[in-house]
Amino acid sequence: MRFLHILRSRVRSIVFRDGRESDLSEELQLHLERETERLQATGLPREEARLQALRLFGGVEQIKEAARDARGTAPWDALVRDTRQGLRRLVRDWRFTSAAVLILGLAIGANTAIFSVVNAVLFRDQPFADPDRLVNIYQNDRSGKPMIVISYAAYKEMAEYTDVFAATMAASIPNPSRYLHDGAIRNAVVEFATATYVDVLGLRPSLGRWFDETEERPGAPIVGVLGYQTWVRVFRADRSIVGRVIRIEGAPVTIVGVGPANHRGTIDVGLGTDLWLPITALPVITSQNPATRAAPAIYAPLFVKARLREGATVARAQAAMDILGRRLEAEYPDDFRRAGEFAVSPGITVLASTDVRIHPQADVPFMAIASLVLVIVGLVLAIACSNLATLLLVRGAARAKEVSVRLAMGATRRQLVRHLLTESLLLSLGGGVAGCILAWWGMQAVQSIDLPFTVDLTLDYRVLVFAIVLSFVTGVTFGLAPALKATKVDLLQTLRDEGLQPVDHRRLTLKNALIVVQVAVSVLLLGGTSIFVQLLEATRTHRVGFAVNGVAMLETDLRFAGYSENAARAVYDNLLRRIQAIPGVESAGLLPGLPMEVNGVPIVVDRVTGEQGSEVEAAMLEAGPGFFDTLRIPLLYGRVFDARDRADTPRVAVITDRMARQYFGALDAVGRRFRLQNDPNSWAEVIGVVRDPGTGDFDDDVLDPIAPAYYRTYTQSGAPPTTIVARSSGDAAALVAAMQRELRAVDVTLPVLTASTMARRLEGSQVAPKAVATFLGVLGGLGLVLASIGLYAVVSFAVARRSREIGIRMALGARSQQVVWGIARGVAGLIGVGTGVGLFLSILAMLALRATSGSGDIGIGSVSVYRPDIDPVALLAIAVVTAIVGVAAAFVPARRAAGMHPLVALRHE
Amino acid sequence: MSDQTDVLQGTLDLLVMRTIALEPMHGWAIAQRIQQISDDQLRVQQGSLYPALHRLEHQGWITAEWGASENNRRARFYSLTKAGRKQLETEVEKWERLSAGVNLVLRRT
Repeated sequence: MRFLHILRSRVRSIVFRDGRESDLSEELQLHLERETERLQATGLPREEARLQALRLFGGVEQIKEAARDARGTAPWDALVRDTRQGLRRLVRDWRFTSAAVLILGLAIGANTAIFSVVNAVLFRDQPFADPDRLVNIYQNDRSGKPMIVISYAAYKEMAEYTDVFAATMAASIPNPSRYLHDGAIRNAVVEFATATYVDVLGLRPSLGRWFDETEERPGAPIVGVLGYQTWVRVFRADRSIVGRVIRIEGAPVTIVGVGPANHRGTIDVGLGTDLWLPITALPVITSQNPATRAAPAIYAPLFVKARLREGATVARAQAAMDILGRRLEAEYPDDFRRAGEFAVSPGITVLASTDVRIHPQADVPFMAIASLVLVIVGLVLAIACSNLATLLLVRGAARAKEVSVRLAMGATRRQLVRHLLTESLLLSLGGGVAGCILAWWGMQAVQSIDLPFTVDLTLDYRVLVFAIVLSFVTGVTFGLAPALKATKVDLLQTLRDEGLQPVDHRRLTLKNALIVVQVAVSVLLLGGTSIFVQLLEATRTHRVGFAVNGVAMLETDLRFAGYSENAARAVYDNLLRRIQAIPGVESAGLLPGLPMEVNGVPIVVDRVTGEQGSEVEAAMLEAGPGFFDTLRIPLLYGRVFDARDRADTPRVAVITDRMARQYFGALDAVGRRFRLQNDPNSWAEVIGVVRDPGTGDFDDDVLDPIAPAYYRTYTQSGAPPTTIVARSSGDAAALVAAMQRELRAVDVTLPVLTASTMARRLEGSQVAPKAVATFLGVLGGLGLVLASIGLYAVVSFAVARRSREIGIRMALGARSQQVVWGIARGVAGLIGVGTGVGLFLSILAMLALRATSGSGDIGIGSVSVYRPDIDPVALLAIAVVTAIVGVAAAFVPARRAAGMHPLVALRHE
Repeated sequence: MSDQTDVLQGTLDLLVMRTIALEPMHGWAIAQRIQQISDDQLRVQQGSLYPALHRLEHQGWITAEWGASENNRRARFYSLTKAGRKQLETEVEKWERLSAGVNLVLRRT
């Protein structure tokens, strides 16, 4: 009760502070009056009485202060007072304030944005009900590590173990796909899942329903469930979507529901799933080959999760799966002989779902990369912070006089430090707010781009807490040292401000250390940038073994317009004839997909002579008649595809010289045979050998170096053509426009998927490495700019402090050159040390990167790590640039000091 | 004036509470009353009176109300609360025990 009373009293005294304050004044005033009256009554004249009353009374303000203290509101008052005073001060120094807030805002913004990505990928909670009873099941790869479940049949066998699993579900790894909406083709990420999906996870569709068992049967009409984010963003949360039909890869799909609002997809990495379809729809949607479309067995990488039965443990589930693994090996021997990306061994691994974030093999590298990126932006924050600290130091020194006046007036050092700290905290909080705005704005910008997937970045509480903590830590760490230093002044010396300032000859001062750190970190960042520029250059210089100039492509998909396959073929032939007739067109051809799109496939080579054995990995590229001529790929032996190669004639292939040499042991491999590893009836005869194209499109980058490659023709493969590629003697851009006109002339309703020149396609495929290089370059540049601002501030301040000394020296006949030199020498030393440290760290980082990535560039999971060369020229260039910028920052104020008239300099305060 | 004694820290609370136990009073009157009753032996410093009043109010032992002073000005009149009366009793008891003890010590040595 008493506690409540005190609390109430304190709250009241804070809330009604102004009222209390005037009450207190009035109360004390009355006291004085009564005292005066009393003294007057003893016979003193009025004025005399008042003075004596005042004397007796003592300090009115002190009493007020003591009364306030008695109420326990003093710390609050002090905080309010410090904040007000700090704000006034910062508003007055608005130039300094805006610079500091901008610097911090950029750094905190970059950190917040990056953290929000990491947050989206790694830290978001899973919304599953009772997650402790969920397990993940993986078939192991050849080295015994958990990988993926490779077939629907294997999943079905797992689901049979109902004594340990209450329910089991499977979902394919996300498939890139496309659908027609509002007359435009949109990219979509599709997951093929089982009817049990939501029940196992303990989720509920936010609208409509999930598909049921009958809809999961092969041959059932395809139904789908939209992702919640997609429904909101693309379909504007239209509730009438349920029951509507959308065409995905040309196939009609009836929407029956919208997915759970808090669930983005099976792999929760910030990419949202746009559509869930029944797993049996997988061959229909993803396969371009009618033969595999009707195949009864579904082979696809699947994620399998199960809910443990009451009482069952992960260990029991593991024991059951060990038995199943051996049975699968006996029943599906072929599955375990498959080579290539998804080669499995009979082992099966069961892991508690809570122990896995993305995938047991990908979690560690993902964490590593996330922390690497966080370290990089952290470096920028470090520069910004040390920069702010330098600015505060300089400002603190400039305020030495104010500080000493306040100390002389009776302020305690603690009060002053608290006050200065409040200022730096206000600055860093301002920076934090600016940072959050910048980060939010940046993320809006990213999300407004139509990427081939839905990115779900939100500023949730974790990101905000991160930004706030970051601001506080920044404010305290980098405000405390300058505040302590600023309040440690020699009162008399500063107040008199006369005589020469003792020149600081110490080398290891806080300011010097900060400058060295800033320069070193900027060099490190620039060094990091140089690695990525190198990477970019490395991909650029790959030989492009096909024509680029004058080549244009146009991709459409007649399935979206509802054409049957035969009708579509006729339309394409018509379109091809019209494009060949465009003036200037030298050659044109049809193919499925875009040119140089590569698929890695395991193949079996007949009568092998090479060392690798008969089962090897090859890159498969799509082509057709006219393809090699259009792209000017030189034929070395045999012939290329033509009208003789039809669906009813024996299968043929054109291979590269590299494949001929490596897999057939001779350049002239015409007449030799090979087949797809998983299809014994797919023997194809080599009819020609062409020059290796050098590069191909593996991971959205046309300039990926490719494995030994072969081409197949759409006239035999069953994959319907979608793209016309043509070469003109004139301008490729004009050809693109002309081709689009022809397309509209054939059928105005046909959607254009791609209309581009080959040059643009090459350019566009480098967006990712370019973005990384730009990102790091911007960070490095930002760091350098920040470091030079800090340098400039420090040097100009040091020079200003020495103006009097400089004036005397000038008056005594020193030449301005000598003065400038004297100053520049000191600064050059600092920059030299900073640059040296930065270079050393850069080389260390590169060596570390080389050590972790082994030989050449290799892939960890889906992330490839590049092995950088230590490029002495680039490092030297970075060092020189840094040194020049640094010295220039020092030179300007030094020049100004030396140019000053000696008299002015002497009077300079 | 020099034979006046400043009120001891700690006993001020007791004196203030005892004084306003009879009737509500404002600050100046409290100081005057303590001085009068003690035959000018005790002097209350304003510097400690007002903080003491605010502290006692904050602790809930006394409350203040605005009223008219003898010269017809607005003044804060302090009075004891219920908890204050109980507190006063314990404080008086404590003081009596203490002063009895001190007296005993002074007389017997």
